Amino acid sequence: MSSHSTSLDSVAHWKGGASPFAVSYGKMMMWFFLISDALTFGGLLSAYGFMRHKYPEIWPDPGQVFTHFPFYEGHIPLAYVGLMTFILIMSSVTMVLAVEAGHRNDKKGVTIWMLLTIIGGLMFVGSQAWEWYHFITGTDHGAIRNQLIDGQWVDAPFRGANLTYNEYGLPVFGDFFFFITGFHGTHVFSGVVLNIIIFCNVLAGTYEKRGHYEMVEKVGLYWHFVDLVWVFVFTFFYLL
Amino acid sequence: MSDFHDNYPSYETMAHHDEATGKKVRRKLWNVFWIMLGITLLELYIGFQQDAWELKGTTTLKFIFIGLTIVKAAYIVLEFMHLGGENKTFRYIVLIPYIAFIIYLIAMLDLGEGSYSKEHREVMDKHYSEKPMQHHEGGASHEAAHHE
Repeated sequence: MSSHSTSLDSVAHWKGGASPFAVSYGKMMMWFFLISDALTFGGLLSAYGFMRHKYPEIWPDPGQVFTHFPFYEGHIPLAYVGLMTFILIMSSVTMVLAVEAGHRNDKKGVTIWMLLTIIGGLMFVGSQAWEWYHFITGTDHGAIRNQLIDGQWVDAPFRGANLTYNEYGLPVFGDFFFFITGFHGTHVFSGVVLNIIIFCNVLAGTYEKRGHYEMVEKVGLYWHFVDLVWVFVFTFFYLL
Repeated sequence: MSDFHDNYPSYETMAHHDEATGKKVRRKLWNVFWIMLGITLLELYIGFQQDAWELKGTTTLKFIFIGLTIVKAAYIVLEFMHLGGENKTFRYIVLIPYIAFIIYLIAMLDLGEGSYSKEHREVMDKHYSEKPMQHHEGGASHEAAHHE
């Protein structure tokens, strides 16, 4: 603790005495990383917007595409992604509560809230896999496409979507869907992995020894960022 | 290197607070959660009602959704990520370059180039069919028979 209670004025750090932004080095670098990552997602969503702007009248209606709900036979649009959004916002809340508990050096609180965050993250990744499964499998009726069957080019029915064809309409819709939700899913997955690592450190008492739970705050920033991206993906892919 | 102490000034240790402050912080966070949940439910409700309200595909609807999303994003960044409580200079360093660049991107790529490509679709990509893909009527029975 002694090195941490040193007065900021008396230590020459950052060559200028102190951080000009009154923020620790690690947190600031996490913010800078998140800005660049946010620019990546901004670029991807802008590209999606470009294609959507180009083909407004033949763009598939998400309300007709994503209509499945677990244990429910009928079709109900938006409900499932609504649930996914709720799960992710909820896990963001548990994360911020873990950070708050960290500020009180409450190891038990951090443990519980981190665990709930990890569970929320895993639920979300699972939901996304389920969503992909239904998009790839497609509807019962399918659509017609000119395809090569037994050496003949014929108009034959096909189902589902992948990177080259898409039952619901433009193939580029499927490309963007797979790439952007996949890229986001990768972020969620790595977020869960980071959370698990930090969770193990919390259990091992690493941060208790260190005297502060700033690492929880730093992965927390990343985790909220994942939630932030999802809020935009949700709007541009499912609502509009 | 046996212990984990580093030599940076620990601003984060100044962020420690007691139980009384913690209670206030938690209440605020839960309030934010309820606001976020409310906005999401409102978005879903508008989504369900968009046909009934004759809003489907309109610019009004798009602005409603984007507006609500930006409100949610602001709550996440300012409250959950606690940027609202950071140093003012740092807040602007994070927000201003990003917002400026994204506005540029939307204006140039989506509105500018997107409109241009739409107007010149016939010339630029002939392989895209103008009409939406037709659904196969007998597909279900065909597929069912195929699986049997």
